[in-house]
Amino acid sequence: MIITVTLSPAIDKVYWVDHLKIGEITQDSFLTRATRSLTSAGGKGINVSILLARLHVESVAMGFVAGHTGHVVVRDLRDEGITTNFVWTHGETRTNVTILERGREHIPIKVNESSNRVTPVEIDRFFRRFRRIVPNAKWVVLGGVLPPGAPPDVYRQITSIANQHGARVVITAGGRALAESLLACPYLVKPDLRENVSFEGTPVATVNEIIAAGRKIISCGVEMIIMSHEVTGDIVITKDAVWEIQARIQTTQLKNLVGADDALLGGILYKLDRGAPVEDALRFGMATGILSAESEEKICRNIDKIESEMDLISLERLEG
Amino acid sequence: MKVHEIMTRDLTSVEADVTIRELIFILDNARMPNIPVVNDANQLIGIISEKDLIRAALPGYFDMLHSASFIPDLNQMAKRLAAIVDDPAEKHMQRSVLHVLADDDVLQAADLIIRKDISNIPVVNGEGQLVGRVKRIDLLKPYI
Repeated sequence: MIITVTLSPAIDKVYWVDHLKIGEITQDSFLTRATRSLTSAGGKGINVSILLARLHVESVAMGFVAGHTGHVVVRDLRDEGITTNFVWTHGETRTNVTILERGREHIPIKVNESSNRVTPVEIDRFFRRFRRIVPNAKWVVLGGVLPPGAPPDVYRQITSIANQHGARVVITAGGRALAESLLACPYLVKPDLRENVSFEGTPVATVNEIIAAGRKIISCGVEMIIMSHEVTGDIVITKDAVWEIQARIQTTQLKNLVGADDALLGGILYKLDRGAPVEDALRFGMATGILSAESEEKICRNIDKIESEMDLISLERLEG
Repeated sequence: MKVHEIMTRDLTSVEADVTIRELIFILDNARMPNIPVVNDANQLIGIISEKDLIRAALPGYFDMLHSASFIPDLNQMAKRLAAIVDDPAEKHMQRSVLHVLADDDVLQAADLIIRKDISNIPVVNGEGQLVGRVKRIDLLKPYI
C-alpha cells in the first residue's frame, strides 16, 4: 500500500484566458473572461495519488481538510478511486488559482492561498491515524508546505515512524520542512525550489552546484535525490551515480505545468514500486511529467501514451 | 459484484478514547451520521452515531414516553449533554457492529442496509481492519 500525505491540500482552480488585462481602468477593459476552467483536488501528495490511481495503483491520501472546499477535495479523490483518510479541522481548505494566458502557458500566473491553521489536537489526531495504517504501507509520500501550527519537524517525525515500519519515504518539499526531514533519512527527496533557488544557503543554478547540493543530501543517508534543472530537465543523484534526464520538447508545447513535477515523482514511484531499474523509473517518470505538462488537465489521463512519450526522453550518465 | 467495487473508500474513524465533544465536531464536519470506532490496529471495535448521542443526552425516562412532546423543554437534554461531552466514545458506542467484508457480495450489504434500515455499513478486510463503508447511495450508483 502507498500512503500519500498532504498536510496543506488545496482546490486547484485553473483559468485559461486569451489575454490577461492588468492595469486597465474601465470595466470593459479590466474584465478578463476565462475561455475555460478546471477545478480539481490538489497538493503534492494528492497529485501523486491521482497519478497512481490513473495507473491503477491504490493509495491512501492523508492530511487535513476543512469546510466546503475540504469536501470538494475528498469527493474528487473518491471519484478517482483513492482511499481518503483525512483529519477534519476548523476553517476552510485553501484554494490555489493558476491563470494560463494563451501562448504563454509555460509561464503560469499562480496565486496560492495560505494554508489552513491546524491545532496540536488535530496534529495528534493525524499521527494516531497514521500509526494505525502505516504498518501496511510500502511507501509513504510526503509533499508540500506545512500548515501554520504544524511543528517544523513534522516530516521528520512521520519519516521516523514510517522507517520503523519498513516503509520507504519519498519527500517533495522545501525550506525547513525538508531540511528537518533529512535527519530521519528518507529514501527519495525532490526539493521544491520554486520559491528559493538555493539549498541550505548554497545556490543551485548550475549543474555543478546542483550536484554539489545533491551530494550533501546523499551524505545524510538519502538514497536518491531529484533536482530540477530546467523546465524540461532534472539532475538525479544517487550514492553511485549522477544522471541528467531531459525531455526533447519545446517549452511552448507545454499547456499546464501545475502538478507536472508531482506526476514525474508519481511515475518514478510507480516504476520503483514494481522493482524496475532506476534508469527505467527515471525515464518513465519524466515521460509522465511531460505528458501531464502537455495536457490541459493537471495530471495526464492518457496514460497509454506514457510509453511512447519515453522516446522523447534522454538519460545521460554524468558520473558513476 | 463485490463490496470493494462499490464501497466509499474512506477511513474516517475515531479511537475509543476520543471525547464526545470531538466526536460531534467530526460527525458535523465530515457530514457523517455515524462513525466507526477502531483500535490501534485499525480494527473495527464499535460504531457511534448521532442517534446514540441524542439518546444518551435524553432523560432516562424517555423510553417510557409515547412522544417527545412530553419533555417540557430541551434544558434537560442540554444539561445531560454538557455532562457527557468529555466522556470517551467507548462509553456510548455500540459494541456489536453490523459490518461486511470487502470481498462479500454486494447483495449481503444491500440486505443488511435495507432490512436493518441503516444509512451505511462499515467494510472490513480479512483482519477486521476498516477499509471503507457502503452507503445507501453506493448501492444505486453502479446502475446509473
